[in-house]
Amino acid sequence: MENEAVMKMRGLTKKYGDVVGIKDLDLDVYEGEIMGFLGPNGAGKTTTIRTCLGLLRKTSGDVRIFGLDSHEDSIEIRRRTGYLPGDFGMYPNLKVKTILKYLLSQSGVSDDSRMNELAERLELDLSRKYGNLSKGNKQKVGLVQAFMADQDLIIMDEPTSGLDPLMQQKCYELLREEKSKGKTIFMSSHILAEVEEVCDRVAIIRNAELQVVEEIESLKEKMGKKLEIEFEDSVDPSFFAMEGVEDFEMDGRKATMIVTSNLDEVIKKISKQNVINMSLETFSLEQLFLTYYSHGGKGE
Amino acid sequence: MKIGKTMLIELKNSWKGYVLFILVVVLLVGGFVHAYPSFSEAFDDELDGSENVDVEVLKGKENITVRLSWQVIDKAENYSILISETSNMMAPLDRVEDIRTKSHNYSLQYDEDDEMPERYFAVVAVRDDGERELVGIETNFERKTAFQEIWGVDYGDIQGFLSILWSSWWILLIGLYIGYISSNVITKDYEEDRMDVILSKPISRRQYFLEKFLVVSFYTLALLVIVGLILIGSIYSVGELNSVSSSALMISSILSWPVFLVMISVSVFAGVYLESSRKAVGISFIFILIQYGINMVGDMAEGLEYLKPYTIINYWDYESALYGEAVGVLDVAFLLVLSALLVILSLVMFDRKDIPV
Repeated sequence: MENEAVMKMRGLTKKYGDVVGIKDLDLDVYEGEIMGFLGPNGAGKTTTIRTCLGLLRKTSGDVRIFGLDSHEDSIEIRRRTGYLPGDFGMYPNLKVKTILKYLLSQSGVSDDSRMNELAERLELDLSRKYGNLSKGNKQKVGLVQAFMADQDLIIMDEPTSGLDPLMQQKCYELLREEKSKGKTIFMSSHILAEVEEVCDRVAIIRNAELQVVEEIESLKEKMGKKLEIEFEDSVDPSFFAMEGVEDFEMDGRKATMIVTSNLDEVIKKISKQNVINMSLETFSLEQLFLTYYSHGGKGE
Repeated sequence: MKIGKTMLIELKNSWKGYVLFILVVVLLVGGFVHAYPSFSEAFDDELDGSENVDVEVLKGKENITVRLSWQVIDKAENYSILISETSNMMAPLDRVEDIRTKSHNYSLQYDEDDEMPERYFAVVAVRDDGERELVGIETNFERKTAFQEIWGVDYGDIQGFLSILWSSWWILLIGLYIGYISSNVITKDYEEDRMDVILSKPISRRQYFLEKFLVVSFYTLALLVIVGLILIGSIYSVGELNSVSSSALMISSILSWPVFLVMISVSVFAGVYLESSRKAVGISFIFILIQYGINMVGDMAEGLEYLKPYTIINYWDYESALYGEAVGVLDVAFLLVLSALLVILSLVMFDRKDIPV
């Protein structure tokens, strides 16, 4: 990416007493991209996000957002940043509209048209009391408040948690729209499909340390594609002993293999056999994720 | 900019509880004041038939003459006079029998040099059928009420009555409620998971903290103003507003604020430090109950008065303010400074700490 880094973490470390929350994190999030932040529970995703926002005091290292110091210029950063925490809560006795208007005014915005538009899109009833909402609807309130002030950077900690699949899609739509407007989004998730669907790049954290930062496309390319073929007759494994084919397995007449390169050659070879059925699947992040973790975090 | 938004949302969220408590206080304060006339009567143990007997003390050069005069009693053959140190006339010091007088008066001579000691004089009529009848009892001094005799102070008047209520339980009732809401005002934002969002908006932690502190402080002030108004209204309705000025009632009510400010500061400090409303409420209640206890013990038990400077309640003299006496500026200043120090300490702590999830 050639864009400027909106978020820049260098050697960012946060310790809670003796417990290390995050260790020596170096990460850049560029303007106009959606950066996914993946990791299992307790890996340090929330700690990273909250340290960037000044909710936690960093132990050492440096965070700059919009070129500003995350602690010294925290208020200016927050003026330009929308945030959805992982555990979003609000005043249970108040109406959603009252709450959102309060939060909007705290951001210094008086025009509530975007707030209303977002609520309509997410099918959120503003006249209800927050405490009477379902978990999913509460999460919608969180989403609306994160987007409504039309800020340059949006940081989200597991944005779709509690949403039904339909609403998840609407949320992805929103994220892509924001990106198309040039907004920068940094979102944590443990749902791989989500990251795969909306993010440009992904940072994977494990045991408080960053494992990899990669564009999703190139990551997938590296991982190859999964090919499944059902032949009319059984095929000798040696038939596919060629460059770019790994993990070949033959189960009766069914063959599975991972194709990392040379796809054209492989297809041509297949065409010499009688094929009954065939599928070519891109590796999911799920499998990718497992690969990272099953290799002790080192990846390939 | 954006000043007061946090206060406003806190009010919107909590106004029902606030109003409910005001109603409770209004009913209790008004109700108690209405109980004052019967309370006052209970202590006003007038001597039997004192309106029938007059006592006049005449100081001579070498002796004192006590001149008694009394109402005529029908069928009275003669009168006798009993002199005692107590109003129940038990064990009289002296008695004069068989006084036959048409002018219904009698003079007693005392060889006292300066002061006539405090005495009760009972005039008894002896009727022609031999039956005795009390004409009346009177004294040569201004009597104290039963309260005065026990406490050494007159609590029988409206000021005394109000200051008993103040120190015995208004301060406790208001203190505990104020302590409760102050302990919760910040911790609830942690516990109901909204602190992260609130502090992710461009508002400094200091401003957030001060607005939270001020909302409880101003609520308390408003409550005290309302208490002042209710006192004036209800004292007027029991017809006692001539014995206490309405400005003294209002001023004494409002100037109780600093005592509560210290309680608020302690509770908010506990909330910020402990990050748990339950624990903070516990600390707050213990603090207020200890203050109250020390004050009570210091009031009641002689020899334990040295404890009183250790309670904040001692730095506010509600009773004197009711009597319209000058307020101890240093004492009020001490409370304000104490409260300010606690607020600054909490602020510094809150500004530096990690916001818990």
